[in-house]
Amino acid sequence: MIPSTLRITLIVAVICYFIIILYLLKKRALNLKYTLLWLLAGGVMGILVIFPDLLVRVIHIFGIQDNMNGLFIMCIAFMLMILMALTSIASRQNMKIRALVQEIGILDKRIRELEAHPEEKQE
Amino acid sequence: MKNKENAKVLIIIPAYNESANIEQVINYLVSQAPEVDYIIVNDGSTDNTLKICEEQHYHYLDLPINLGIGGAVQAGYVYALKNDYDIAVQMDGDGQHDIAYLDEVLKPILSEEADIVIGSRFLKKEGFQSSQTRRIGIKILSMLIKLTTGKKVVDVTSGYRAVNRKFIEIYAKDYPADYPEPEAIVTAIMHRGKVVEVPVKMKAREGGESSITFRKSIYYMIKVTLAILVCRLSYGVRRAKG
Repeated sequence: MIPSTLRITLIVAVICYFIIILYLLKKRALNLKYTLLWLLAGGVMGILVIFPDLLVRVIHIFGIQDNMNGLFIMCIAFMLMILMALTSIASRQNMKIRALVQEIGILDKRIRELEAHPEEKQE
Repeated sequence: MKNKENAKVLIIIPAYNESANIEQVINYLVSQAPEVDYIIVNDGSTDNTLKICEEQHYHYLDLPINLGIGGAVQAGYVYALKNDYDIAVQMDGDGQHDIAYLDEVLKPILSEEADIVIGSRFLKKEGFQSSQTRRIGIKILSMLIKLTTGKKVVDVTSGYRAVNRKFIEIYAKDYPADYPEPEAIVTAIMHRGKVVEVPVKMKAREGGESSITFRKSIYYMIKVTLAILVCRLSYGVRRAKG
């Protein structure tokens, strides 16, 4: 079993975690779309801290002997998922920036042409 | 069949810090092929490339930030698409590629034998042949492309290419980012493009530095190998679905 002091620490930690996320969301410093995974992770952690028996059972299904190790592994798994999501977001933004930069280059040329020949109009 | 007179041809010249070469390249191009349009893509150069383009009144796109060769070439394809060009030819801005071979590169597209033409320095083994280490690297990549797609392309890293309207559209949407040349061949084959190689002579660089230093070449090989495999796989999956 998880010792009760640790449980209290974890509950406080999960509550802090949610307060920070909700605060950032309220300030619009976080986009809800990108926060869903964080909220899901917090939710799962919260449930497991409140019902530790569930944690023990889940951990044993995966063949992990020590409860604390199980907790750590879960945290790491969530972090990996979030990092992968971030990498994918960064890659997608990279593609969008690329398209924007190309568009700027083309528009820049069009503006130069129009400034040089103001009488020329788009057909 | 279209002939050279009524096909709109655009030459795309990506340029990153090419102030040492660009004047020579463009003046030579204009003197040899005054009838075709060209566009320099200044890829956020930190030297005088932009200034030279402005002063000489060259046709150029100025990208505000550096995208890398793939992004720069793709900007050229987007421009070609928007301006209704029939054929786009990409050439390096460092003077390695000789405009004198333009007709040879265009011919298979005009006769509709090819969708993509690659100017290859190894077919006739004339002109600048690159260093031995590079040739080995190119051979390995060539074998890899043969293995993954079944198509034999000798000079997979050549940046001297011509593509028809269909592939201007495809490349405008989907062009690999860095070290794009070998991967772009796989993209083309996966879109069922007909790839033809024609012999050209290349020159050693006239000035400036190559984008691939020896230190980077290991990274280059790993990156390009993975890119080819991923490209092959992702299209394989898509094709099976469709």
